[in-house]
Amino acid sequence: MPESGQTALVKLLEELNENIKSIGAKLDRIVSLQEALREALAPREKTTFEGLPLDVATLLSLPDHLRKTALALAELGEATATEISKKTGRVRAAESDYLNQLVAKGYVKKKRRGHGVYFYIEAH
Amino acid sequence: MRKAIAVHSYKGGTGKTSIAANLAALMAIEGVNVCLLDYDFRAPSIQVLFKVRAQKTINDFLEERCSLTDVLLDLSDKYQADGHLYVGCASSTTESLRDMMTKDRRWEMRALHRTLSAKNKLYDDLGVEYIIFDTSPGVSYSSINALASSDFIILVSKMDEFDMEGTKELVHGIYDTLGRRTGLLLNKIPMEQFPLGEGRKELEESISKIFNLPFLGVIPCYCDIQADGGRSLIAFEQPKHPFTQGLSEVMVKVQDHLKRL
Repeated sequence: MPESGQTALVKLLEELNENIKSIGAKLDRIVSLQEALREALAPREKTTFEGLPLDVATLLSLPDHLRKTALALAELGEATATEISKKTGRVRAAESDYLNQLVAKGYVKKKRRGHGVYFYIEAH
Repeated sequence: MRKAIAVHSYKGGTGKTSIAANLAALMAIEGVNVCLLDYDFRAPSIQVLFKVRAQKTINDFLEERCSLTDVLLDLSDKYQADGHLYVGCASSTTESLRDMMTKDRRWEMRALHRTLSAKNKLYDDLGVEYIIFDTSPGVSYSSINALASSDFIILVSKMDEFDMEGTKELVHGIYDTLGRRTGLLLNKIPMEQFPLGEGRKELEESISKIFNLPFLGVIPCYCDIQADGGRSLIAFEQPKHPFTQGLSEVMVKVQDHLKRL
């Protein structure tokens, strides 16, 4: 092969190499954009208060009606709405509503045992 | 009567521990079963005041290493009181003081739950009629846990502006929010400012109006008590001392308030 032909071939290979590098960089950009898009479109995790302790600082920040229920539950540790209502002197239906509000806020948990629903503060 | 009383103040040095301990002593002398619990974990002093050395402390109870009844010392024989005088001491070792400073909210929540549920054991198993919490001054987790566990708060204040202003804030921000009934006790009033007769009544009325709280009494500053520096329990050792007499009147007022709860 004449020298001029070799030079042309080297030049062509260099151009090819530059093009491959450019395609690689574009592919990297496409992959990262795809990841960013997937993250942006993914359903957001529900914000939860779970794990926040029902300590006195939290108790002081609760509205009066919920604080009374929470304090009664803090004393009993685990109780049904009926047991809480005996302690607070308020009707069972109201206590059931307040306890479920505390559950929704993540301060209190509930479980079913037999026919009863028990509310409790997770201490550990 | 199954009631818990917390003795609290905005600032330190108001004589809280002395009021709490002597109040417990006076109740025991009267034949009442009483339990004094040291919840002042930052500056525990009940062991020194009663000259006892506790093997187990309230710190052990709150750390779930033992029950509250394991912590209590029955001092009724020591002081020949007619009622049981149970005392629960806080640990005063440097390690314990440091340890209590590092507790997180979850631990404090468990401490509140343990305190609230242990109260019933004291009433049921030991026949305790009154529980008295000695607390840390100001707003700390341990003191608010004790306040939340009490039916009535004795708010002790001196007559200085800082103490009175902070005390007003405590009443509004903490006691009212917790829905706890509170009575105000002015302590360590300098003798020259201590009013007598009509003057005293006027002072009581004006202070009561400022704080919007029932007034439990005014106790002057007695130099001999200050000089004693907490080495003795005045209620047992000097029953005729004006401090003991003044605190007896406070005790009657507190018991009246508790009856109405």
